[in-house]
Amino acid sequence: MMLTWLRGLLRRRAARLTAVAAGIAVSVALLASLGAFLAQSRATMTQRAAAGVPVDWQVQVSGNADPSAILATVSAAAGVRTALPVGFGQTSGLSTSGVTVQTTGPGVVLGVPDGYIRAFPGEVRSLAGAADGVLLAQQTAANLHARPGDMVTIGRSGLSPVQVRIDGVIDLPQADSLFQKVGAPAGSQPVAPPDNVLLLAQARWHQIFDPLAALRPDLVTTQIHVAHSHRLPADPAEAFTAITGAAHNLEAQTAGGGVVGDNLGAVLDAARQDAAYAQVLFLFLGLPGAILAGLLTAAVTGAGASRRRREQALLRTRGASNRQLMRLAGLEAAVVGIGGSIAGLAGAALVGRLAFGSARFGSTTASTTGWITAAVLTGLVIAAATVLIPARRDMRDSTVAAGRLVVGRAGSPWWIRYGLDVVLLVLSGLIFSVTGRNGYQLVLAPEGVPTISVSYWAFAGPALLWAGAGLLAWRLSDMLLGRGRRLVGAGLRPLAGGLSATVAGSMARQRRPLARAIVLVALAVSFAASTATFNDTYGHQAEADAQLTNGADVTVTTSPGVSKGPGDAAAIAALPGVRAVEPVQHRFAYVGADLQDLYGVRPSTITRATALQDAYFTGGTAAQLTRVLAAKPDSILVSAETVKDFQLHPGDLLNLRLQDSRTKQFKIVPFHYAGVVKEFPTAPKDSFFVANASYVAQRTGSDAVGSFLIDTGGQDIAAVADRIRAKLGPSATVTDLATTRKVVGSSLTAVDLAGLTRVELAFALLLAAASGGLVLALGLAERRRTFAIATALGATGRQLRAFVFSEALVLTVGGLIAGTITGWLLSEMLVKVLTGVFDPPPSALSVPWPYLLAVGVITVAALAGVASVAVRLARRPAISVLREL
Amino acid sequence: MTDQLVRCEDLTRAFGAVTAVRDVSCAVLAGERIALTGPSGSGKSTLLHLMAGLETPTGGGVEWPVLGGHPHGRPGLVGVVFQGSSLLPALDVTENVALPLLFAGVPASEATARAVEALERLRIADMGSKLPEELSGGQAQRVAVARVLAARPPLILADEPTGQLDHEAGGLVISVLIEAADELGAALVISTHDGAVADRLNQRWTMLDGRLTTENGSSR
Amino acid sequence: MTAALEAHSLYRFFRAGEEETLALQGVSLSVDAGELVAVTGPSGSGKSTLLSCLAGLDEPDGGSVRIAGARISHQPEPLRARLRARHIGVLFQSANLFEHLTVEQNIGLSRGIAGRNGRTPVADLIESVGLSARAHAHPSELSGGEAARAGLAVALANDPVVLLADEPTGELDSVTESQILELLQVRAQVGVAMLIASHSPAVAAIADRVIRLIDGKVAA
Repeated sequence: MMLTWLRGLLRRRAARLTAVAAGIAVSVALLASLGAFLAQSRATMTQRAAAGVPVDWQVQVSGNADPSAILATVSAAAGVRTALPVGFGQTSGLSTSGVTVQTTGPGVVLGVPDGYIRAFPGEVRSLAGAADGVLLAQQTAANLHARPGDMVTIGRSGLSPVQVRIDGVIDLPQADSLFQKVGAPAGSQPVAPPDNVLLLAQARWHQIFDPLAALRPDLVTTQIHVAHSHRLPADPAEAFTAITGAAHNLEAQTAGGGVVGDNLGAVLDAARQDAAYAQVLFLFLGLPGAILAGLLTAAVTGAGASRRRREQALLRTRGASNRQLMRLAGLEAAVVGIGGSIAGLAGAALVGRLAFGSARFGSTTASTTGWITAAVLTGLVIAAATVLIPARRDMRDSTVAAGRLVVGRAGSPWWIRYGLDVVLLVLSGLIFSVTGRNGYQLVLAPEGVPTISVSYWAFAGPALLWAGAGLLAWRLSDMLLGRGRRLVGAGLRPLAGGLSATVAGSMARQRRPLARAIVLVALAVSFAASTATFNDTYGHQAEADAQLTNGADVTVTTSPGVSKGPGDAAAIAALPGVRAVEPVQHRFAYVGADLQDLYGVRPSTITRATALQDAYFTGGTAAQLTRVLAAKPDSILVSAETVKDFQLHPGDLLNLRLQDSRTKQFKIVPFHYAGVVKEFPTAPKDSFFVANASYVAQRTGSDAVGSFLIDTGGQDIAAVADRIRAKLGPSATVTDLATTRKVVGSSLTAVDLAGLTRVELAFALLLAAASGGLVLALGLAERRRTFAIATALGATGRQLRAFVFSEALVLTVGGLIAGTITGWLLSEMLVKVLTGVFDPPPSALSVPWPYLLAVGVITVAALAGVASVAVRLARRPAISVLREL
Repeated sequence: MTDQLVRCEDLTRAFGAVTAVRDVSCAVLAGERIALTGPSGSGKSTLLHLMAGLETPTGGGVEWPVLGGHPHGRPGLVGVVFQGSSLLPALDVTENVALPLLFAGVPASEATARAVEALERLRIADMGSKLPEELSGGQAQRVAVARVLAARPPLILADEPTGQLDHEAGGLVISVLIEAADELGAALVISTHDGAVADRLNQRWTMLDGRLTTENGSSR
Repeated sequence: MTAALEAHSLYRFFRAGEEETLALQGVSLSVDAGELVAVTGPSGSGKSTLLSCLAGLDEPDGGSVRIAGARISHQPEPLRARLRARHIGVLFQSANLFEHLTVEQNIGLSRGIAGRNGRTPVADLIESVGLSARAHAHPSELSGGEAARAGLAVALANDPVVLLADEPTGELDSVTESQILELLQVRAQVGVAMLIASHSPAVAAIADRVIRLIDGKVAA
């Protein structure tokens, strides 16, 4: 019995079944594609995070443990690729005796073995002179005015000092992690790296510091620096667990002799938080799409409701029990659900292959199964909801007699009476403000707790806004079409002429399906708009992040010891592809006992080469503060911490000590506090100053430039960078935005959204077009009959078209207006709620006008296209329909 | 000849292998009351459709001398009442009745006025704001007659108007049709397989297997 | 001998907002095996409601219905469905078949619902209504008369004790009507109890008894 039914359905109702299955397939495909994307991005995050760590583990040899024994244990541990011992010796001070005697405060002397720089290239960057031997850190060299070839004296507490000759000057880009306090309790303040650092070859170091170790063992320690094999699980969370477990394991193996400073683990920790965020983000943006596809499917099945009711009535007449009825409905639901799910999975695999090059659904077997299950389950749920629930409802409600009629006039839906739309919108606003109070922290990873929790509660805000706005649009459409039919009629006059009142009347009686259709179009358009706006803002901020790190499209950093002035800018500006060059001074200034970087800029022209975002500053917008720097040259922008430390108020006098180029001595230069700067192109993560370049030059007697920021207009960045590199040679280091974009590490902005964006925006476009066209396409049978009668009554083609195109016009206008407003509100809310994803957070939405225009055009085109086809299809078999009348 | 509202000459209409109307020649004059009888499948509907200009013949021709040419696109010349429900479900009774006038380009206010007038003439004005699904079969057919009446055509064709109604309702509809025809001085052709209905009209034409026999015993 | 169909004091009310319709007011009747009873009455007299209650598709507010001695009214739904599938055949004026199944498949579906194979092979049943040539046709391809025959075959698929028909010949012309009525008479002779609601005089003519229903009551 069931097979006969099924065969009949497949043969004669294939079109309708396919349409429903297609709707389900879209939902399943969207969810499965998200899974594919997440798999890809998680794996990339893990790899990139691991690649960015210069030293995976720093194992501190503690107490009385034997360094060589610890080294052996570490080298033998699983997963350890390289293990090298590094000596840390405290020096009482370094000094030179050149023209003048310069002495520094206490510092650290490192003893590095052969091959260290090869094994851990990220730790040491050679700036001048030889690449090995006695290497002096850049800042120390600056303090001592030392150059390769000079002699430096190493002070030893309690022992006589030792003199060495400087072979080279280096930069230690990872000084923070290199000099971390290994084994410090979590949450403790990070220790600032020492200002004075000298590197020696291991043998030399032992010569100098072994005696000190004997005398003062507290001043001399050893660390084993470990490079891990990086054969990590693809999922960041799993990788994190694996690495931290291995680190603890190693500590246990050394029986307390070694404490592991787990740099790799820390980075993976950040990565797994970012992965959680990525998941949140894509669910946030993709789930509404799946829901929308489900709604469209419901619309398709809803169109066949009266036919289903008639069939059910006839089945009951033939003696089918309720159970048999549900079995038949279940059969249809199963066919559509399974067929749609399979099609959806195939579609997602195809999308995955096209967009990401692989058809994986998850980064691990568990997550793959999870995603596929979730996607298929959704497909089946939609099938059940759209087929079974109406069947169940019909069984309870109607008598057989009623089922044999075509049911008609319905009252207003129950939720309008209870104002559900208003309730949802109010709730949404409440949740939004509550989430806002804790600063929109969506991902919580408390220190020391191995798991991550995501606050899904915050989703409720945008979700309720979307739903509430949809319902409100329904209410308003219902009101407009019903009570406002005279207005609608007036509006349709240019299209329908004398028939406008009749057309408006016809739409008024069909306002329930029409209002539903407007809501669908509105939901689809708002989904597309908010997704695209969010992605665009995201991309914008990613750009800003890269700009922040790199400074500008191309940044030229003067090598130490080399002196360049603003005049050198002209040579660079002359190169093809260079649109603007801005010199930025880089000095060091003492505030109190603290040494900070100081950047001198030309406030009126700095924005020619780099964009300054309002989010970088507090106490004024970027524009305002640069104006202040220009108007009052002795103004200075400081870090928030400095403000706190020195209890600064705007206009307060702040005395800094800068080095005078003429006397080479540090002298007091007065500034006035003007505002807080949190981020600045090329500036480091800790405190720094931003001041007016001409004032600094005037006070220090030197206009030496630290770096040049170059704007290429975004074109051929790599090519321009090469040209500059060729021109300047070793006198400067050239970095460009394109390379930085790939390298910027720990924040989510580095995640490549390209694949996902394409997928989501394509889906959104598809849904917007489908929702518009679909509703007009349904009800074709009824339309044919109506057209036949109208033709028999003397209607012209133009008059028939007026009916259909009026419907299409109302759908378009209503749907687009409601969709645009909702999309805008949704975008604003999404950007606020997902603030944690952005680095730096945006001050305004970045609106992708071309895409939005495309959505609008395609929706209109779909509606117009379907309307024309509907007219053509409905007119043709007029005669055969007449025969039935 | 020139008082013929519609004239068929050797009219043939074939649908592929099936010939619904075969060599029919006939004419309808003003004021006539004609019953077109015959078993189902004999071609009555097709003949009426051809006379209304809703279908095109595959052989022979139809002409409308008095009406001045083909009535297609010119409502107010031939009024048709169909067998089944032919009201637009999304419009109320008044809007349905006014519809053909609106299609003809009559201004909305005048069309509505004429519709109301037609409903009053047939004593169903109280149904004016009801929707078609709220009407019984008989009521719906009477509205269809009002729709014809509002356009004031000189020729009324009714295709099995009482086919789906019981005797009482059917009888009422026929009365209303005759009344409307009397009002307008229009010619009336009703196709039916109900002998009682045929008896109420003064001429009887018979169709069998696509061929027409008029009262004179031969095809005219 | 128990009657094949027995209804005792049936009451059925419908409430729509303020209005209360008294569709059936104390209707009693019985039909023996092989009897053909016609139920006549104007539209709105309650014929359709009566048939729904007799078929167990609608529950009467008062009274009882028995099929071959077994009570079908006020029973749990699964039991009613089973009784209906196995013992009652229903024939409507139209839409007796599922559009997406052939005539043959429709009959097979009825048998599948009842869970029985039936005493007569499907082909024979189809032949008995004269549709052998159209066994594999879909309902949309059938003429009015063929559809009525097919509906009859489906109604008889499970060799029911009772056949209930609601205006079975309403859309048919007299020739086809008499053909269908002939088939019904043959069935009655075999022993099926028949109750036919119709306003056609032809049905009343072949009936053993005529019950007239006016305003939900049996007229004396």
